[in-house]
Amino acid sequence: MTLHHNPTRYFGVPLGALGLVAAAFLALSACAGGDKPTAPPATSASPSSAPPTERVVGPLSPADAQALATMTARLGEYVDLHTKIERTLPKLPKDATPEQIDKNQRALEKLVREGRATAKPGDIFTPEARPVIKRLLASVFEGPDGKQLRVSIMDESQAPPSAAKLVVNSRYPDTVPLTTIPPQVLQTLPKLTEDLEYRFIGDSLILLDVHAHVIADFIEHVIPR
Amino acid sequence: MEGLMRMRRWSLVALFLLLIWTAGGRRDSGITGGVTVVQAFQAPAEAPLPLPNQEGSFKFAVLGDFGTGAKGQYQLAEQMATLYKRFKYELVVTVGDNLYGSQRPQDFNKKFEIPYKPLLDAGVKFYASLGNHDAREQRYYKQFNMDGKLYYTFKPKSNVRFFALDSTYPEPEQIKWLDKELAASNDDWKIVYFHHPLYSSGDRHGSDLRLREAVEPLLVKYNVSVALTGHDHFYERVKPQMGITYFVVGSGGQLRAGNIDRNSGLTAKGFDTDLAFMGAEIVGDQMYFATISRVGQTVDSGVLTRRNVKP
Repeated sequence: MTLHHNPTRYFGVPLGALGLVAAAFLALSACAGGDKPTAPPATSASPSSAPPTERVVGPLSPADAQALATMTARLGEYVDLHTKIERTLPKLPKDATPEQIDKNQRALEKLVREGRATAKPGDIFTPEARPVIKRLLASVFEGPDGKQLRVSIMDESQAPPSAAKLVVNSRYPDTVPLTTIPPQVLQTLPKLTEDLEYRFIGDSLILLDVHAHVIADFIEHVIPR
Repeated sequence: MEGLMRMRRWSLVALFLLLIWTAGGRRDSGITGGVTVVQAFQAPAEAPLPLPNQEGSFKFAVLGDFGTGAKGQYQLAEQMATLYKRFKYELVVTVGDNLYGSQRPQDFNKKFEIPYKPLLDAGVKFYASLGNHDAREQRYYKQFNMDGKLYYTFKPKSNVRFFALDSTYPEPEQIKWLDKELAASNDDWKIVYFHHPLYSSGDRHGSDLRLREAVEPLLVKYNVSVALTGHDHFYERVKPQMGITYFVVGSGGQLRAGNIDRNSGLTAKGFDTDLAFMGAEIVGDQMYFATISRVGQTVDSGVLTRRNVKP
């Protein structure tokens, strides 16, 4: 996969703005109790007038923002590849049978795996981005709702031993349920396009290619015990 | 001696009251802080239908968090088929978590097509919304009637319109879409359904406050009368919030027994001891509903009036 630095692609805000977030917020720690969620502090990236479902990424230092921007560029490249491959396949009808859905998914899976034959951990969740992601997630899981979130995720994420060994570019294990990704987690992580999802297997964060059902990358031990 | 006589008298009174209480066909486990939580037990055969069942009315069912492929799901599906024999509902809306675990072709079969075969064969349509456990590819599945969309709207009957949301990813585009669609609808009945509850007494998940902040103002502004949700694995009818009645019907296959927080202050009626689905019927400005358990017991029923009725 060739690399092209494109920091604005999926964040929806320019890299410079992300840098301004640096002095910002530990918003999620402010969500304790009450009937209404406490709004995160306003920043240029997330003004107080922004809808509550707008993504909030923070706190970020300029170096963190750079790391996530690079990761976002990698995500963009992945999506470009995915889209290019998917176009070569017949379009799935809107009234498909399970067999058609499965056939289409497996065909795409095969092509994506061939297209990323040399893929390895860290290609998307880059070594620089990994500690940032871990730190962002730690701020969620160590917050006031953290314990409940952990219970909620781990309760549904009891992966069998066969799935414990995660492999980039492999099919998401059919026997492992798709876990809950709480909104607090989604709002903390860089936004994805519709082709990709974050999921957990055990305490690992998975980047899942939704259509191909392939693990695009992962980070282990992101949920603090 | 007198004390002994008094004790015997009180024992007889207590026994008499207990007999009356248990013979009633329904058993409330108690009222705590305004919460009524019903316990399951074997219902009498062919209980009276707690719905008007009028000819020409619009009838539908609600099901959520169901696709386990386990015995409980199948038993509840039998109750849905039993109800259909007497109450011909046109469609079922699903409030997400339609398939748990693997989602291969055989799973669609085992976790959906087999248990609901009597309904599917009878022409009952399922209109799905997706939960956090659902693969997004389900939107292409013919039997879920999602037209390839993650969120969509449909109008099954004059003056009734449903809006299905993807509450796992309430991106601003979707909220804008909902705003536009609700504004464009002049239907008397606007019913919104999605997975994550805006109001829930669930100990496990509870109310999704961020989603509430994004969605509730639209529901209030555009006179939505009813919101149907799941995620928490029980049944709950929430006390009306800003005029809107919220149901949590995450009781279709997975049960989280005893998970309703009795002190939430939200519950109008709760049922967290067995699986359940909901039948509903719209007659003019009224919507009748009945929630039926795995053993055919009606655990909740009632009627609500739509919002914005002109005098």
